[in-house]
Amino acid sequence: MTPTASRLETLPRAELEQLQLERLQALLVRLKRNVRRYREKLAGQRVESLADLARLPLTTPEDMAESFPYGMFAFPLREVIRLHTCVGPDGRPLIIGHTRNDLAQWSRLAARQLAACGVTANDVVQICLGSGSALGASGYLLGAELIEASVIAEDPNHVDYQLEMLRNYRPTVLVTTPSHAHDLTRLLDERRMDPQAFHLRTVLLSRPVDRPTRDAISARLLTPVRCSFGLGEVLDPGLCVECDHGHFHVQEDHFLVESVDGELVLTTLMREAMPLLRYRTRVACELQRDKCPCGRTGIILKPGTRLDRRLHVNEIPLYESQIAGVLAQTRVAGQPFETQARERSLIIRVQMTSELFSDTIWVIEKLRNDIQSEFLSRLGVEADIRFVEPRSWPASGQRPPP
Amino acid sequence: MLLQVRNLRCGYGSLEVVRGISLHVRAGEVVGLLGANGAGKTTLLKAIVGLLPPWRGEIRMAGRPIQRQPAWRSVSHSMVLVPEGRMIFADLTVRENLQVGGYHNPDRALHLDLVLDRFPRLRERLHQLGGTLSGGEQQMLALGRALMARPRLLLLDEPSMGLAPLLVKEVFAEIRRMTESGLTVLVVEQNAVATLHIADRAYVMETGEIILEGQAGDLLHNPEVKRAYLGKGHSAPNA
Repeated sequence: MTPTASRLETLPRAELEQLQLERLQALLVRLKRNVRRYREKLAGQRVESLADLARLPLTTPEDMAESFPYGMFAFPLREVIRLHTCVGPDGRPLIIGHTRNDLAQWSRLAARQLAACGVTANDVVQICLGSGSALGASGYLLGAELIEASVIAEDPNHVDYQLEMLRNYRPTVLVTTPSHAHDLTRLLDERRMDPQAFHLRTVLLSRPVDRPTRDAISARLLTPVRCSFGLGEVLDPGLCVECDHGHFHVQEDHFLVESVDGELVLTTLMREAMPLLRYRTRVACELQRDKCPCGRTGIILKPGTRLDRRLHVNEIPLYESQIAGVLAQTRVAGQPFETQARERSLIIRVQMTSELFSDTIWVIEKLRNDIQSEFLSRLGVEADIRFVEPRSWPASGQRPPP
Repeated sequence: MLLQVRNLRCGYGSLEVVRGISLHVRAGEVVGLLGANGAGKTTLLKAIVGLLPPWRGEIRMAGRPIQRQPAWRSVSHSMVLVPEGRMIFADLTVRENLQVGGYHNPDRALHLDLVLDRFPRLRERLHQLGGTLSGGEQQMLALGRALMARPRLLLLDEPSMGLAPLLVKEVFAEIRRMTESGLTVLVVEQNAVATLHIADRAYVMETGEIILEGQAGDLLHNPEVKRAYLGKGHSAPNA
């Protein structure tokens, strides 16, 4: 066990379950009193054991989207001191609110996650998650500050600047996305730079990656690589801690986890502003109660793939309806299209029609550029627009990705 | 866990006052139980010590079920209740009051000295009748009498009731000091500020149910606690 493992991460099972039951019972009382959406659903419902959780109603991402903006809040807006937005079903926005206590608890959970990676007050932590991850970045910032590490909160826009920061600021911990870590390793290779010139001793990736990817980053940066797993609408970071043995231990003093037909279902036990009961995350998972040599007693979560049609392009979550929405703002509105998500860009094949077609190449190029800049400004993703001849696609709308 | 309560229900006649409460106290902790008048706090304490039979649920002390045991047994389980309003024996001297508290304790003579060392003001009033003490002194006497039984868990019901603010501060500081010698305390109070400043954790109870559980410092900033117990203008110190 790492010396920094919190007492709450190693609670005996009986004590943890008592705490969870108390918190679940209190949560139900608060939900019935303070959240209209739950009041009707939970009328007459009581829990006397954690097994009773399975009888309670589920909350879906659609419920959250329908309650936009503040319908899921348990407190009036004046008590909510931080608002974040994340992508909900079909790209609809979700608002996540935090009270002062929510932020305090988030900082403690993020700090536990960082401490599990060996981060201490002597570390210099650079948080580099890209402009689309303000939510995750602020969580790591809170956690690192609580540990009293020195935090570099600037997020360099270009990998060149990142290299300079690694040299000049001498961070010992880099919190970043897998894509950015990959860019960094590629640049080191291209410039034949020695990673020993840096002072890195841990890299924490913002989402799980497969073993070969993790090993490749680790080998190139000469540091151990840890992964994080979280969900913006629930908590990210802070949901679980990856231990030295590569297991994601859920911070069960704050979350109840279930696997319902293979889908991860989460209940937030301590959230004040926006508590969630049995939230269907649309993420596949496996749960294991195995004893872990690290000493943590939290259930082991093995996150799987998304169960909805969410794509990820350059670490930005996207739904096809968002793509259709952007195309609808351009001259190709209503044209059949198909999408192909790549790691860094989105390939969109749009059917060309006689109305759109022109003999002059620059007219077509301008149309392409207009659409591409629309994607960049609205969704923040690079789109590669390709016009294709009409085929036997549906009359309009998108086709499923290949 | 020293004290574990699960799904406790109890009340008077057909009136259910405590409606399915679960809570726990770990050894060495000071745990607060906050609630307004009529929330069911005292009823809960009475059920824990056996003065009121639970309708349903489980109470365990150091892992042993105690919910069907009579009140007098609670002392042998190292659990002592300091009741609301102190309930000292007004016609007995301070010494006699303390001796009554140590009735089960074979080392009560030695313990009397320890208690008087802890509460020097009681030593000064040793031969005075309990009823002639001031409110603060009576509260000290009630605490001292409870300590005479050498409890592991001390249950305090509204220790601040009827005391001037300065005395409240003094009594609560004493409660905190008592935990330094390994005592565990469950303190039931309406005075949220005083309780949250000495407690490690706390529960908030309303109409027979727990609505909040958390670290005392967090609860000081909880909007519901602030609104219900701390008043609009209260600014909680950083915990």
